[in-house]
Amino acid sequence: MAPATTAVPPAPPGTPFAIRMREVTVRYPNGVVALDRISLDIEAGEMVSVVGLSGSGKSSLIRTINALVPVTSGELEVGGHRIDGARGRELRAVRGQIGMIFQGFNLAKRTTVLNNVLVGRLSHAPWWRTMLGAYTAADRRLAFEALDRVEILPKAYQRAADLSGGQAQRVAIARALTQEPRLVLADEPVASLDPPTAHAVMGDLRRINQDLGITVLTNLHLLDLARRYGTRLIGLRAGRIVYDGDAASADDAVFEEIYGRSIGAQDVLEK
Amino acid sequence: MTDLQIPAKPRGRWKPYAATLVIVAITAVTLSPQWGIAFGFDAISRNWQNGVGKILEMLSPDFSFFPRTVAPLLETLQMAVIATLVGSLLGLPLSMWAARPTNPNSVTRTLVRTALNIVRSVPDLLYAAVLVAMVGVGALPGILALVMFNLGTIVKLVSESIEANDTGLLEAGSAAGGTRAQINRALALPEVAPAFINQTLYVFELNVRASTVLGLVGAGGLGLLIDAVRTFYRYDQLSLIILEILILVLLLDKFSDVIRRRLV
Ligand SMILES: Nc1ncnc2c1ncn2[C@@H]1O[C@H](COP(=O)(O)OP(=O)(O)OP(=O)(O)O)[C@@H](O)[C@H]1O
Ligand SMILES: [Mg+2]
Repeated sequence: MAPATTAVPPAPPGTPFAIRMREVTVRYPNGVVALDRISLDIEAGEMVSVVGLSGSGKSSLIRTINALVPVTSGELEVGGHRIDGARGRELRAVRGQIGMIFQGFNLAKRTTVLNNVLVGRLSHAPWWRTMLGAYTAADRRLAFEALDRVEILPKAYQRAADLSGGQAQRVAIARALTQEPRLVLADEPVASLDPPTAHAVMGDLRRINQDLGITVLTNLHLLDLARRYGTRLIGLRAGRIVYDGDAASADDAVFEEIYGRSIGAQDVLEK
Repeated sequence: MTDLQIPAKPRGRWKPYAATLVIVAITAVTLSPQWGIAFGFDAISRNWQNGVGKILEMLSPDFSFFPRTVAPLLETLQMAVIATLVGSLLGLPLSMWAARPTNPNSVTRTLVRTALNIVRSVPDLLYAAVLVAMVGVGALPGILALVMFNLGTIVKLVSESIEANDTGLLEAGSAAGGTRAQINRALALPEVAPAFINQTLYVFELNVRASTVLGLVGAGGLGLLIDAVRTFYRYDQLSLIILEILILVLLLDKFSDVIRRRLV
């Protein structure tokens, strides 16, 4: 492997992660190039929205950052930790500090909300405790606090299967918060929620960013949400960054530029 | 409409036809006079008087025989309980090793799968016969034979159920930095628990029935007694044993129904 050209030392404990990508290419085994030589710097504590058409590479970008998808070539650093080529214990330690939120919630439906949220402690708690399910009082307290932060604490002992979509996504957010993350990645977190719930969940993500100072990167396909909840907007098309700038000032012309077509009612939440 | 770009047709569409052809061919061979199995219904008409006599005898079970059946009956039950316990406790981790979502490592997965396919392809009666020769007559070879049978069944069915489940939740565990074992414990386990409990109850029922047959080769339980009364042509006693097995299986069916409703 080439010597690491690390620009930043590992982020000190408790501080949010920055992301540094240099010429990152992701090619799937079937030959599809999802990310095409992307260079990108995200500062610690930023709230970034990523938009783009379906298939433009939004999910690939997010999943590359926590190495769920491997980098084919290029350099990727998260919080000063080299991600491309990282494996095993080292990779798990970094992932333990990156919360991830999925479009489909990805909860274990047959167990309790609390057990789902405690998954956020997997990489922090001693191995034997996680295997026995005997988490410390401190770990459980973190889980309860996270549930409280997204206002779903009363559901702690309910089965995850019995939650509504909005509640399930809040549990997923609580799971991410229980990691005490320094970066939160959200892949279309509100795509399967109704408009009021979507706003509530986006509000939760914004508070995570503003109150806790955590870096947040969110994939969205609805332009008004991207504009309203992000401070920075990144536009992807065919695996390349075609826009990178201030979110609030991005007008419809910018989105038409990103999408390569005119903007319609399907691209916004509020008609 | 101009220039409709129809994607290339994926290959492999002939597979259903090929499968149908193979099934038809196998059926034809099986029924053909040269290569097929030889059987005829005339054997029934030749021997029916014989059969009626036995059936009449069996219709009047010898209840005075009951005290002598109690101990073997309990032994059969004990064998089934122990074998189910051991088989399912070993089967659970093996099921996770044998399923792709819970074990992405194709080398160990193939290893476990192949080993268990071999285990499953040997009939339990054969295990019992071999084990009786190895460790002697009694309940132990019967239990070991049942454990092998249980492992094969549980691992096959539970690992298939893991593969049929949604795997997104396991990805959430990877994203949180969990090890494979942690993820399987925290996320895969609660999801497969119902399938696992169902299979365990099912093999328990099968074990009770099987352990009666295993005794025929000396592997403990009611089978030993069945063998003895059969040798002396005591069909009235045999029918009492069959009646007891029937009642036992019915009771167990109720019992597992109750557990299933509680747990699953
Ligand atoms: N696991 C995979 N294997 C092969 N190709 C993939 C895989 N995942 C995504 N792709 C391909 O990579 C490209 C980018 O996909 P990606 O999921 O990143 O897009 P997206 O912007 O998230 O789309 P959407 O809005 O529909 O979620 C697409 O062409 C897709 O077909
Ligand atoms: Mg996507």
